[in-house]
Amino acid sequence: MSRVLATYNIKGGVGKTSAAVNLAYLASRAGAPTLLWDLDPQGASTYLFRVRPKVRGGVRKLVRRKSDVEKLIKGTDYERLDLLPADFSYRHMDLALDAAKHSTDRLARVLEPLRREYDYIFLDCPPSISLVSENVFEAADALLVPIIPATLSSRTFEQLEELVRGGPQVLAFFSMVEVRKSLHREVMAQLRAAHVTMLGAAIPSADEVERMGVDRAMVAEIAPAGRAAIAYEALWWDVRRRLERAPRSSAT
Amino acid sequence: MKPTGTDLLLPQGTTPAAILDVLAARLALREGSTVERDRRFYDTFDGLLRQAGLAFVHESGRSALVSIDGGVEQAASPTPDPPERVFVAELEPGALRDALSAVVEVRALLPLVRIHGLQRAFGVLDGGAKTVVRLVLDEPAVVASRSRRLALAPRIRISAVRGYDRELTRVRATLLDDLECRSVERSELDEALLATGATPGGVSSKVDVALARDERSDVAVASILRRLAEVMEANLPGTIADVDPEFLHDYRVAVRRSRAVMRELRRVFPPAQLARFRIELRWLQEVTGPSRDLDVYVLDLDELRSGLPDPGRSDLEPLLHVLRDRRAIAHREMVRALHSERAAGLRAQWPAFLSELVTLPAEDRPDAPRPIGELAGARIAKVYRRMVRMGGAIDDASPPESLHELRKQGKELRYLLELFGTRLHPGEVVKPLVRSLKSLQDTLGRHQDREVQVDALRSFRDEVVTLPGGAAALMAMGVLIEHLGEDERAARAEFTERFAAFATRRQRALVRETFTP
Repeated sequence: MSRVLATYNIKGGVGKTSAAVNLAYLASRAGAPTLLWDLDPQGASTYLFRVRPKVRGGVRKLVRRKSDVEKLIKGTDYERLDLLPADFSYRHMDLALDAAKHSTDRLARVLEPLRREYDYIFLDCPPSISLVSENVFEAADALLVPIIPATLSSRTFEQLEELVRGGPQVLAFFSMVEVRKSLHREVMAQLRAAHVTMLGAAIPSADEVERMGVDRAMVAEIAPAGRAAIAYEALWWDVRRRLERAPRSSAT
Repeated sequence: MKPTGTDLLLPQGTTPAAILDVLAARLALREGSTVERDRRFYDTFDGLLRQAGLAFVHESGRSALVSIDGGVEQAASPTPDPPERVFVAELEPGALRDALSAVVEVRALLPLVRIHGLQRAFGVLDGGAKTVVRLVLDEPAVVASRSRRLALAPRIRISAVRGYDRELTRVRATLLDDLECRSVERSELDEALLATGATPGGVSSKVDVALARDERSDVAVASILRRLAEVMEANLPGTIADVDPEFLHDYRVAVRRSRAVMRELRRVFPPAQLARFRIELRWLQEVTGPSRDLDVYVLDLDELRSGLPDPGRSDLEPLLHVLRDRRAIAHREMVRALHSERAAGLRAQWPAFLSELVTLPAEDRPDAPRPIGELAGARIAKVYRRMVRMGGAIDDASPPESLHELRKQGKELRYLLELFGTRLHPGEVVKPLVRSLKSLQDTLGRHQDREVQVDALRSFRDEVVTLPGGAAALMAMGVLIEHLGEDERAARAEFTERFAAFATRRQRALVRETFTP
């Protein structure tokens, strides 16, 4: 019954980690056993959850399934929300994957035993197009793609759809939105008109999102009634709704 | 992922506030939410859920099936108000209904106890202010009535955060060794039940009486029958109140078993009293019969319905009406009989007679001093031989009555084996014998039940046809009667094979060697 959701964008700094962390939190708060795998060697979500960014045996053992992945998982401050931490060795994940057999579905294989245990598995992905992202496309049921409403974002989105054609469901949403900027409003209107897979909810650029790194807390804790907290809840509702409509991947 | 919680009791003479104070000096704590919990627990009369390690809880507008230790939720569904009783058949289809149905079947869930209390959550933090162990301070009380609460001992529940086992060990050690908390011996639910004077685990209808092979037969028989009388007594209120069909079922099984013991081991009783109590117990069996038959028809109707094509299923509604009406009438008549002076007299005199049985003169009770192992063994061997003879004489031309008679003997043998054989004779002989007997009885039972069901359906026809939708119901009943007839013939065809397995040369030799003195 598990769903693997990857927050992904070719570009960095678009709100992938914030989305992964806050959506995973909302999923677990509603009662679903949830895991977040921090695939980014920078370890931003690992830092947010106050967990040491260390995976015993490093990435090579992990992708070859030589380490017991269940023993690498750490509980967070939140019930039902667990973390598979980042590790500095993840910066060589491409090489480790390339050196292994079946190099494009290694991550899916690592996740296999965990899918029985968790209702949702979030992958917080590093920004790039690489063997890592190919693996993510193979493993994920859906990509959650944060898009900053800017001139080239439409192009980015089309490229991505092209890239994953026939793979996971692509669910894009606006991120770091400044409603006072007319450019943001215009781009959002255009994209929404052109892309039916665009989610309705938009995450605003807000203080509480930036505060997450300082307080190491979820936006729902920092400002429970704030715009960002409400936007994440709306986003999560929308994501769940779309997932229910879509057929499951064969991996489940 | 499952919370591996351990409950600890506070050291004697401390309060939760004091223990928190001491704890805060030793561990870095972050206080989380405080939750007011008001839980109502349910189980069947005989504690089927507890036996399965489960509890049914109603809390804040939802019902859930949870594990007793750790409270891990198995299934849940929204339920606005706490129910008075819970019947599986009345729940919405879904996970909760499926999970419950597998454990309790037709038994009603009855309210056990209501526990109210505050639960304060704390995180034990490491040097990086990360939660590494979770604690919950629970201060429960049983809500005995609107104005009366019985405080239970406060508990500290420790649960692990995944990947922080060493920290868990350390915190446990601090609580147990340093603060002198104690491990709990019972679940909170059991603690609450004991506080109200109830028995955890409910009331069993099992005959758990220890016997020895060389015990006097009258002593052994009296203790078995006294236990059966207790079972009857325990199930009487539920039978009268019509809580669920199992009360009457268990009541009647106890009566029937008692009668079988009196018949088979008659020479341990003084003849005059035996004759009298046999009449009285047969009367009990008779006055409770129609009610049980109608219970079975209602319960079977769902199964019967599934044999019909989909559109025909709802056509049977008028039949259900007739069954329910008749059942209500039969129940009233049964209650009248069970409330009668005759029944009251029997309830008082039967156990009294059993208590004094062993002190009565033994002249007219020649089997009384014989060792029970020998006596029961001889009866088992005898009834078995009789069944082999009767069954061997049955062929395709035999009337159905010959199978019914064989089934009656089979019941007698089964009770002897269950009440005495399993306690007094080697399991490697008794168990396979019981297995092959059960399989034979299933076939014989199906054969007879189908015949009885067909007769019953026919007897309901006149009444059903007068109701709205009666004509369609009659047609559906016609289809059912046909199905039942087919199944009766199928059971008859199975008989030869099942009987052969029951009466093999090897089994006959084993019975002779094991049970004949």
